[in-house]
Amino acid sequence: MIRNRRSLVALIALFAIGAAACGSSSGSSGGGGSVPTGGTLVLGAEQEPDCADWISSCGGSSWGVYTIQEHTMPRVFNYAKKNGVWTEVPNVLVTKMPTAKTVGGKQVVTYDLNPKAVWSDGQPITATDFKYTWDQIATGKDIYDTTGYDKIESVDDSKPTQPVVTFKEPYASWKGLFGGGLYGIFPSHILQGKDRDAEMKDGYSWSGGPWIAKWAKGSQVTLTPNPKWYGDKPHLDKVIFKFLADTAAEFQAFKSGEVAAIYPQPQPEVIAAVKGSTSGANSYFTADTGNSEALWLNNASAPLDSLKVRQAIAYSIDRDAMIKSLFGGLGVTKASQSLNAPILSKYSDSSGFVVYKPNPAKVKSLLEGDGYTKASDGFYAKAGKRLSLTMRTTTGNKRRILTEQILQEQLKKSGIELKLDNQSAGDLFGTSLPNGDYQVALYAQTLTAIDPGLCTIMCSTNIPSDANGNSGQNWTRSNVPGLDKQLETVDSSIVEPTRITASKKGDVLMGDAVVSLPFDPMPNILLWSKKIVGPVNDDPIFSMFINIDQWGLKK
Amino acid sequence: MTATAIEEPTLAGNAEPVALTQWQLFRRRFFKHKVAVVSVVILILFTIACFAAPLIAPFSNTDQDLLLGAVKPNATHWFGTDTLGRDQLTRLLYAGQISLKIGFAVALIATVFGTAVGAIAGYFGRSVEQALMRFTDLFLVVPALAILAIALKHFGRTDTVVILVLATLFWMYVARVVRGQVLSLKEKEFIEAARASGASRTRIIVRHVIPNIIGPIMVNATLAVAAAIITESTLSFLGLGIQPPDTSWGNMLSDAEGFTGTGQSYLLYAPGLAILLTVLCVNFIGDGLRDAFDPQSEKH
Amino acid sequence: MLTYISRRALYSIPVILIATFLSFWAVRSTFDPTAKVRVSRTGARAAEQIRVRLHLHDSIFEQYGYWLGDAVQGDLGDSERTHEAVGTMMTRAFGNTLQLIGWGVLISALIAVALGVYSATHQYSKLDYTFTGLSFVGLAMPAFWFGLIAIQWLAVWPKETFNLNDPIFYSVGLHSGDQSGMFNLDYVRHLVLPVLTLTVLTIAEWSRFQRASMLDVMSADYIRTARAKGVPRRSVVIRHGLRNALIPLVTVVALDVGALFGGAIITESIFSIDGMGRLFIDSINAGDVQVLTAWVVVTAVFIVAFNLLADVLYGVLDPRIRLS
Repeated sequence: MIRNRRSLVALIALFAIGAAACGSSSGSSGGGGSVPTGGTLVLGAEQEPDCADWISSCGGSSWGVYTIQEHTMPRVFNYAKKNGVWTEVPNVLVTKMPTAKTVGGKQVVTYDLNPKAVWSDGQPITATDFKYTWDQIATGKDIYDTTGYDKIESVDDSKPTQPVVTFKEPYASWKGLFGGGLYGIFPSHILQGKDRDAEMKDGYSWSGGPWIAKWAKGSQVTLTPNPKWYGDKPHLDKVIFKFLADTAAEFQAFKSGEVAAIYPQPQPEVIAAVKGSTSGANSYFTADTGNSEALWLNNASAPLDSLKVRQAIAYSIDRDAMIKSLFGGLGVTKASQSLNAPILSKYSDSSGFVVYKPNPAKVKSLLEGDGYTKASDGFYAKAGKRLSLTMRTTTGNKRRILTEQILQEQLKKSGIELKLDNQSAGDLFGTSLPNGDYQVALYAQTLTAIDPGLCTIMCSTNIPSDANGNSGQNWTRSNVPGLDKQLETVDSSIVEPTRITASKKGDVLMGDAVVSLPFDPMPNILLWSKKIVGPVNDDPIFSMFINIDQWGLKK
Repeated sequence: MTATAIEEPTLAGNAEPVALTQWQLFRRRFFKHKVAVVSVVILILFTIACFAAPLIAPFSNTDQDLLLGAVKPNATHWFGTDTLGRDQLTRLLYAGQISLKIGFAVALIATVFGTAVGAIAGYFGRSVEQALMRFTDLFLVVPALAILAIALKHFGRTDTVVILVLATLFWMYVARVVRGQVLSLKEKEFIEAARASGASRTRIIVRHVIPNIIGPIMVNATLAVAAAIITESTLSFLGLGIQPPDTSWGNMLSDAEGFTGTGQSYLLYAPGLAILLTVLCVNFIGDGLRDAFDPQSEKH
Repeated sequence: MLTYISRRALYSIPVILIATFLSFWAVRSTFDPTAKVRVSRTGARAAEQIRVRLHLHDSIFEQYGYWLGDAVQGDLGDSERTHEAVGTMMTRAFGNTLQLIGWGVLISALIAVALGVYSATHQYSKLDYTFTGLSFVGLAMPAFWFGLIAIQWLAVWPKETFNLNDPIFYSVGLHSGDQSGMFNLDYVRHLVLPVLTLTVLTIAEWSRFQRASMLDVMSADYIRTARAKGVPRRSVVIRHGLRNALIPLVTVVALDVGALFGGAIITESIFSIDGMGRLFIDSINAGDVQVLTAWVVVTAVFIVAFNLLADVLYGVLDPRIRLS
């Protein structure tokens, strides 16, 4: 899951192009008229980033993006909802939408930089910065994720305002690079020849965005307007992100008025509050998110290597009832039916997974067909061995631990034992999942750009192996015949209808094979005080804090 | 008066009537401590209720009512339900099994082991004693909570491990107390008399020494019960202790933490009060025992 | 005197060495420093680099030796979680925890002494029974639960009932977003609830202790003599009684600082304070070996230092003990 450190590892790969989604409109307050200027706004952050060297292995925290990175690093794209669909729009850094062409089997992307674009020291943002960024990510030490950048053959910086990026082969997800959700553009004139990690990890004082960030470790990040910012000036004098221990503390701080807005995880207490009265506060929630939370199955671990057992599990769980009890307060009453996130719904086909509803007769025939018999203790067994699974999720996440207890109960009714062995996010995402040391895991994948691309986590070529240096991220170790072809097409084709067809075919294949079981979209929740004036929206990639430069404080 | 009551019959070298006389005196004094007596009754009722949960609990332990969700205390659910629609009274009783089991098991193991080591150290003298004391010192310099958290991470977070690790931390306190008592007792005449009459060391320790220091041992045992229950609930509250589906009162509070200051804050009270009341009873019983065994301490 | 102190200090050294070695061994055998990099792209090579850097190929004794060698030169290594120097992280966390513990000790001691003296001089009065009863409740109180109840009733309830803009007492951190410094109302409003949570147990314990030692002293011959000589009661209580009864309390306080450290783990996690307790929880959850090792060692040294202080104070304050 992405809001948890490290969890990003999985996702990183889900980069790229395109856009999609059905959906509800964003919330906003005030808006329209004139926004007052001046004042200090204090916001809540659920987690402190481990470090501010965004591309290094310690930098993969979404809260690092929300609090510092997106306000200080230049990026090519923003995201906006057009006709109900989330899509990329060019940011102020570029003068027009960049173009991608295929030339001789290679893909060439040309960016036209805004000549007014400067860093906070007045130096222009140039093609050389693009080149430096690529160089650092593709060849640097201890890099969090190189996906996409490792497909770049060269960056031509001969024209300062027009970087030309050449990919070795067609790469559909190019829009996720150079300032998609994950990494921004690095200032080569400041960092060139220095140890980037050392310069950045504890925070940095330069900026290419509307704000300059000062990180007081352990307590807060203070943003002040970047005097050299070439876009619209921020209204506020100062924005402070206060780091809080967890969702409960974050929610507490919002209720006590210590922070004026929060973007909390959908934990039960928050949902209860959103559902109830939110006096003195505005709230907005949406299921149109970039998250997909699922029950991830280790397809290589017995007894889950049997399709019949995986199907029996799928037919045992009343996903709709579970989702309704956990998220009903947010109006989410139906389980997700695709491993693609809701904002990518145009790439999804629910027909594969939708058939999995509680069906005791099917469970019985599937398991008996696989050689299991029900023992006197009520659990199925084969060759004297009980049908028992061990489940892992992140400790400390109360909603997930509740979910586990629901599953435990429902699977028991089907004669399947479920044991729990939860781990810290570090252990789970850093060790157990990559090493295949798990059977069933509950966590979420979160998009870092609006682009489909499940190959990274579902293609058989990405099962961790010596061939890929054990860095493959197909932690479910699923190997579904015909799936690789579809998902690889999604990754490499730049023809939209081809991608959509391939992605939908992939969805059906994954559903038939029960590679995993999609649960929910982990709704995004926004809570903000009535004293905030200006447009408050959810952004599935950059969070509600993306446009704080447009916010003001009621006098 | 008490001093003679303890020593006089022992001089005869016959332990049986000693125990009886002491026991009567002890009982008379303990029953004078009204609060302690009430505590014993409450604690027994509490324990019975928890362990008879399958018979008396209004719902089954694992019953969930997903569509019901969290509801405030009412006629059907006296203590309300949580997000999964689980009856809190039922959960409280089942969680009590784990909390109480841990409390008593830790006290039992720590007391038996600590008494044995303490008696040996006190009776056999310096080298064992030195080793024990130095060893105890080592454990006192790192916060117990930290040692526990690391140990549980190492050995797994099950109730058995919690019990063993807590007992490992607590036996030394008992050993220290017992050792001190034995040291002062060793020089008493009746022990020397027993020694002179040719009784073996083991016999002396078991028949003469231990019965005479049973008071401090039991008082310490109550302290261990209290400390074990609180420590376990703290660890489970922090998510470092018992893991679901096993549930202790600490886990229930961990679940309820987020609801502090919301409409579901009723989830906070029952498990916290259960811990408070149990530990309070145990402490009062300890106080009663102390008074009963050592009437001089009564005034303070 | 000096000999006594140095002898006690010398005795502390092996205790620290062995205790820290055991902690070091426990942490190293529980957490794998290479776990995180093993699976990354540059996995095997990076893991080997870590093994070489931390001397994992050598025996645990040698590993400890290397670690200790660096540590005494001020190099505690870097955190795997944040890439930050462990020393810097510890210093920052220690500062916040010291504020909590410092205020905690001061306030508990003042309250405990006041309650203890009152109870002892008004033995068996209604208030004495009330304080004794309360102290039993305090001793049985799970601190984390007390913290939650305090948030519910002292922070949330007044704010919602009286429709205040801010709660009277805050429950998150040590400062409001744009505030800092230690001498302002904002700081006090943040400090009340965590300090209360941290001290509920110590106040109960110390006040009972103070009552007992005060009763002891007041029944001593010299006090009776003073009273017989016609020295006013108030003066006897304060000049002779309290002064002597404080001696044992001072050593208990110094010894309990270790327990307060444990209490900080709970308090800081409930009140989102970035101190040693939070650092411990974050590190154990992330399996951050370098920080955990340094954490147990630094804490152990701190606690031993206070134990030593307790010994010394006892020697200095109690004239009956002659030190040689």
